[in-house]
Amino acid sequence: MRVNDAVLGLVLLLLASAMIWLTTYFPAFPGQDYGPALFPRLLATGLIVCALLLMLRGLAARRQGEPWAALASWWSRPGQVVSFLVMPLAVVAYLLFAETLGFIPLAFALLLALFLWFGERPLRALPVAAAATLLMYWFFGEMMRVPLPRGLLNDIL
Amino acid sequence: MDAVLAAFGLVFDPSVMLVILGAAVFGMFVGAMPGLTATMATALLVPVTFFMDPVPSLGAIVTATAMAIFAGDIPAAMLRMPGTPASAAYADESFLMARKGQLDLNLGVNVVFSALGGIVGVVFLVLCAPALAELALNFSSFEYFWLACLGLTCAVFIGTGNPLKGFVALLIGLSVTCIGIDPAAGVPRFTFGNVDLMSGVNFIAVMIGAFAVSELLRGAVALRQEGHVVVPQVGNVFRGVGGVMRRYWLNFIRGSLMGTLIGALPGAGADIAAWVSYAMAKRFSRTPEKFGTGHVEGVVEAGASNNSAVAGAWIPALVFGIPGDSITAIVIGVLYMKGMNPGPTVFTENPQFIYAVFIIFILANIIMVPLGWVAIKSMKQVLRIPRTLLLPLILLFCIVGAFAMTNSSYGILLMLIFGVLGWFMEENGIPVAPMILGLVLGEMLEQNFMTSMIKSDGAWLPFFERPIAGALGIMTLLVWLLMLGRGARAAWRRPAEA
Repeated sequence: MRVNDAVLGLVLLLLASAMIWLTTYFPAFPGQDYGPALFPRLLATGLIVCALLLMLRGLAARRQGEPWAALASWWSRPGQVVSFLVMPLAVVAYLLFAETLGFIPLAFALLLALFLWFGERPLRALPVAAAATLLMYWFFGEMMRVPLPRGLLNDIL
Repeated sequence: MDAVLAAFGLVFDPSVMLVILGAAVFGMFVGAMPGLTATMATALLVPVTFFMDPVPSLGAIVTATAMAIFAGDIPAAMLRMPGTPASAAYADESFLMARKGQLDLNLGVNVVFSALGGIVGVVFLVLCAPALAELALNFSSFEYFWLACLGLTCAVFIGTGNPLKGFVALLIGLSVTCIGIDPAAGVPRFTFGNVDLMSGVNFIAVMIGAFAVSELLRGAVALRQEGHVVVPQVGNVFRGVGGVMRRYWLNFIRGSLMGTLIGALPGAGADIAAWVSYAMAKRFSRTPEKFGTGHVEGVVEAGASNNSAVAGAWIPALVFGIPGDSITAIVIGVLYMKGMNPGPTVFTENPQFIYAVFIIFILANIIMVPLGWVAIKSMKQVLRIPRTLLLPLILLFCIVGAFAMTNSSYGILLMLIFGVLGWFMEENGIPVAPMILGLVLGEMLEQNFMTSMIKSDGAWLPFFERPIAGALGIMTLLVWLLMLGRGARAAWRRPAEA
């Protein structure tokens, strides 16, 4: 997804302005001229300068006929759009359900779903998903003592 | 001397050797797999090494990156697909050599000169780092402030084709470090009362997002377009390498020196070293017309260059805490996690760890030759592993790794946000590396800036009064002026053309 530089500049301008606005709430210390707000304000000023330059550049490109935003050609092919979206969606699903379902069932389900969507044969996808899930649980959960969520399997593990 | 002996003892421990061997195989695999980069290998290694002692964890990173940079040459020659960006500069040349029937020679040259180039880089690391550390012991906040400024400017200046967008990335990275408790006054900033944000932005989780998840997003789109690949047969790769060495030794030396230097400059790593060295080989060649037809000269120079850059990048990282490339940016995060704050004091406080890193670097470059040979021979099997399985597995690994960094879903959320952001930035020509460098150096920059401001009571003159600080400051200002001048000239020219 390519966005015109002017749009990027506008977003940065808003972000930098919000940054400066938030620094006005930082506490000031009497007798101390250089407080916690100084560095963020300098950075935000730098961002504003960059944002303005980007906007100038973007508007010039716009006059040459560049669109405000352009999608890569694969966005018109639904299969590839889903392929692109399933990755972040899998992460979101993990964030939402990890606590209730637990690592082992959820990781297995997510791996299996992704394998099958990408066109893997079920005969190969099933054992690989199961083995990878257990291996990862053993390595991180048991060896490295990472508190991976247990969820449904709380009583068994 | 005791420290050197202690270092040998630390390295030649069976479990450490096992970790190094495992990391070497992992690095070879990631490097040989098109689409997986050396930086990604490092980011994925960090969660695994999180619970290890300093020496095995640093050893794993050193070995894996050295192997990955070499292994990227193999698919470049066989399939014209560079395994890592560092091999992109001479992928065409290598592939043309293979088409001329010189695949064996090309792979032999790649593995031998990668290892030799790597060793030259390590020699410079061993010689330069302690000497520079001695010098750096006298540095005050002024010197460190300018050093950080110069490093970050270099990162924008050399590392990117578009300095303006490089600066945007850098400022975003620096701004993100402001989230959390402010290092000078201890005030929470931009936390919105959130406990997770109070702890700051976990830098490894961000790296996993920006370097691994964003790559997976790109990979997922391309997944269904890939056809079947045919891996050619490989014979005796070491035949004829000696002849190449006798003929092109000058290229080898020039490439290794250039690579070390570029690696040591902040922000530019192995990939830029390879491009520069390839261009240099062509420029100074007696037969420049042969370049682009499958000529070994550029492969020698660039192949040595990118591996020496891997070691060169460690020089500023260990001595000043300023990363030479995105891999050492991760290393600095690891050093902090292990309680070995990078900087000159690490050479006096923990010299055995530093020597251990040196030893592992040399070892890694030596075992590169036999392991590289194995990797070349087993390339067929490596490429047979379907990406349909690989991408989801890496994604799950990223999730678990990011979770392990914070032991909460905060790490995963950070990974997701920066994964999508990294993908979007790359799509729009905004480089990711300066952002990561800003993120690593932000706190150090602010701390030294605030300390200096308080010491000088707001005056600018003390920033230039000490000799080294003055020199660094003037250098930084000159680079800034140069950039402004260039920008102004470009802006002046464009309306004239239009």
